[in-house]
Amino acid sequence: MPQPPVPQEFSTDRLYLRQWREADAGPLARLQGDPEMMRHMIGGPVSADESWAMIAMMAGHWRLRGFGLWAVEEKATERFIGRIGLWYPQGWPGLEVSWFIDKAQWGKGYASEGARACRDIAFERLGAADICSIIHPENAASIRVAEKIGEHPSRTLDVNGTEFLLYALEAAR
Amino acid sequence: MADYRVPPEFETERLFFRQWTEDDLGPFARLNADKEMVRYLGRGAVMSRADSWRQIALLMGHWQMRGYGLWAVDEKASGALIGRIGLWYPEGWPGLEVGWLVDRAHWGKGYASEGGRAALEMGFTQLGASSLCSVIHPENAASIRVAEKIGEGFARMVEVMGVEAALYTVTREE
Repeated sequence: MPQPPVPQEFSTDRLYLRQWREADAGPLARLQGDPEMMRHMIGGPVSADESWAMIAMMAGHWRLRGFGLWAVEEKATERFIGRIGLWYPQGWPGLEVSWFIDKAQWGKGYASEGARACRDIAFERLGAADICSIIHPENAASIRVAEKIGEHPSRTLDVNGTEFLLYALEAAR
Repeated sequence: MADYRVPPEFETERLFFRQWTEDDLGPFARLNADKEMVRYLGRGAVMSRADSWRQIALLMGHWQMRGYGLWAVDEKASGALIGRIGLWYPEGWPGLEVGWLVDRAHWGKGYASEGGRAALEMGFTQLGASSLCSVIHPENAASIRVAEKIGEGFARMVEVMGVEAALYTVTREE
């Protein structure tokens, strides 16, 4: 099998993005079980068992697509702080740059730092013509991240009866 | 992540067990979109093509995290994918499960028992399990027959992902 063009793990200034481990199930479950963290997420809060299945699914996405969502650690503390990456399961509206960061770490610009790196990987390594991010209209913090990485509101999107915004960015010609 | 703890591929008399690929999406999605096929699975809802893709991702990830899982199963004679059979133990599951789902076009041939028996052997010999189980809808008579054929007996009712199901079990000594 040819080496996928996307790194399995890499660093930005302050973040380390790596593959998932079974040991991430607990910390991810803690984040995904927090109603405040999940308020603007598709599907709402997630149980510990569902978090395990989600890690398995993310690992499978990597196998099927050759890219996916990375587990993210803060370099300074080596602590798991969330997930950032490229998400494109079957039927998704486009190649999504996605981020989900522990609320204890909000306001540090981590989501933008990771998302910017993923945007560049999408354009430079995958040759994507465009990227998108699916964001709840009331999720002001994520809308700021989308704008910081150059995305603009493109259209609304109905996901299981809830209206989301699709932010998009086309590759520079 | 874990290495393989059971063979990634093997065969029985009439079946070939192998790992999943993206090419399985078409046939697997057809199977999961069939009301008759999914009637006794979870909440019994048919799955979209997107759902089936995610389920293949989940099956592959389960293999990666556990070192075993559900194999994609081909009929040797035709080379066609006929379903999934294997060992399933996601977080929160009531035990190490022997699971089977065979295309209804192939029901009545004993494929589920043939594959279920092989998977059960793997659970005991390769994984060293002391007991195995199967989670079965209480009205799924065909699957209950398969469970009994491979030596499982009714143990108790369980709730799995919010759905009431019968737990069939077998110990290594049996």
